[in-house]
Amino acid sequence: MFLPDGSQDQIGKILLKKQHVYQIFNDVAVSRGFKAIETPVIEYADTFTNPHIGMPFQQLLKWFDREGEIEVLRPDWTTAIARALMKLNPKESKWFYQGSVFTQDKDGIESRQAGIEMIRTAPNEGEIETLCFAIDYLSAVDVSDYVIELGHTGIYETIIAPLTLTVEKEAKLRLAMHDKRQDVVKDLTEKNPRVQKQLLDLIDAYGDVSILERYKATYQADETIVTIVNELIQLVNVLKQLGIDKTIVDLGRVKQLPYYSGTMFTGYLTTSGEECFSGGRYDKLYQQFNQSISAIGLAFDVDVLASAVEMDERGRVAILASVDTHVLAELKRRTISGKIVDILYTEPNISDYEQIIDLRNEGTK
Amino acid sequence: MKPVIALTKGRLEKQFLDYYQSLGYDIAPLTDKGRKLRVDTDDFQFIFAKGPDVATYVQYGIADLGIVGGDILAEFQPDVFDLFPLPFGACRMAVATEAGKVWSNGKKRIASKYTGVTKAFYKEKGESVDIIKLEGSVELAPILGLADAIVDIVETGNTLKENGLVVEEEFMQFSARLIANRSALKIKREALKSVIAKLNPNGGNTHD
Repeated sequence: MFLPDGSQDQIGKILLKKQHVYQIFNDVAVSRGFKAIETPVIEYADTFTNPHIGMPFQQLLKWFDREGEIEVLRPDWTTAIARALMKLNPKESKWFYQGSVFTQDKDGIESRQAGIEMIRTAPNEGEIETLCFAIDYLSAVDVSDYVIELGHTGIYETIIAPLTLTVEKEAKLRLAMHDKRQDVVKDLTEKNPRVQKQLLDLIDAYGDVSILERYKATYQADETIVTIVNELIQLVNVLKQLGIDKTIVDLGRVKQLPYYSGTMFTGYLTTSGEECFSGGRYDKLYQQFNQSISAIGLAFDVDVLASAVEMDERGRVAILASVDTHVLAELKRRTISGKIVDILYTEPNISDYEQIIDLRNEGTK
Repeated sequence: MKPVIALTKGRLEKQFLDYYQSLGYDIAPLTDKGRKLRVDTDDFQFIFAKGPDVATYVQYGIADLGIVGGDILAEFQPDVFDLFPLPFGACRMAVATEAGKVWSNGKKRIASKYTGVTKAFYKEKGESVDIIKLEGSVELAPILGLADAIVDIVETGNTLKENGLVVEEEFMQFSARLIANRSALKIKREALKSVIAKLNPNGGNTHD
């Protein structure tokens, strides 16, 4: 029988690796004082598609409930957790989650995430703690071949502030920035040559962190941009002190969801180029509840990490037994730690095991 | 590892190679490739594929860069960086029908390879149409009565003319474009930036 596109059964090694990635995440999060939260798999579509959140309706896996309301499979953790925290109103500010999200835009419907959310943290405290978490966790799962990219929603927004764009044109410009389409950005800003020049430069402002010093000099008269750049420089220095020398920036990165409002970060695995984590600040997320609460978070792609982690294969030991000596073999099994122990009634292929203990005749002695 | 560039086979391939040669690159390995679909030059590895597949290879990171028609990008909307237009492969998207066509008052039937583009175009116009997907020789459809009109790319207009069709309305202009994989552009910036700057007809930024 067939599975739908993008669904998959999981067995063996990759499943063990996913469990390993989840387990270590759990350990790191708990020991850093984060509290677990889990929201239900089924929610109302409106939680994710309302104008504050703005997830594309087409991407959701959805159906009608008995009252005719549209329900969906959880497409995003951050939004669901914000809804839950508003209802539960706990005093803690550091949360972690792990589980699947479901959307139709990726090549698989289901993807697995593990992430953190921090609310009511001081400016910069959240950014630093989130990045420290990322480094701590990646080191715990023994992933070292990665590069972190920093961005910020504010630079683009400050630069386009003098433009008077319709909502439609603003969306087009944002998309063109997201796709780094030079010709479209040029066309949409032709009425303001100064902004045009700034945006064309911004499209290209990705790569080495030396761009930050260049931007600081170029925009020295603009207090907002200088503040943002200084914040990013501070984060680069934090990373450097933690031993992460190769950080990159993309100052032209724009937010894809309306609630993002500040620093954005992405981790790429250098060998495969895959995104292993992404996150950022979204202080506007709680505005939908008429609350002013600072929020920042980060989600790891468990599927990507699971394919990147190496797990030591445990050695195998066979204990040969019979019906009469099975219990004896079981008692022996309990004394062997850190190995996979099979109890067998027939002789195995010797090369499959590093040790074979024969207890078949033990009881008869 | 050398950066990988995906090229659209066929018409765009020749135009790209002329352009690439004009930038001072040696194209001999690419023209003498025989039927090979993967060719190494001193600087890059090139792969040859159909337009939509070029976009797919770049989206999935098999290729770092791709040369593909803007019409393909408009139709398939791959998740890639769509950097800039290249100075070749110019064409327009047009609605064409038989000369002297008298439209009925009913819902129109439109045949096209570009069903996504067609749908978006009529949606924006506020006109409901039925769309029939064809794979090629789209000009046949109005002549044989399969559809009232076609939506297709037009370069010179000769094919339309020879089949007794006329352009009813033009609505998009395209050229070949340079696309890039979203993470490769960033993590392989050092390896890619000189070829990207060279390919850019406007010269690109020079500050780093």
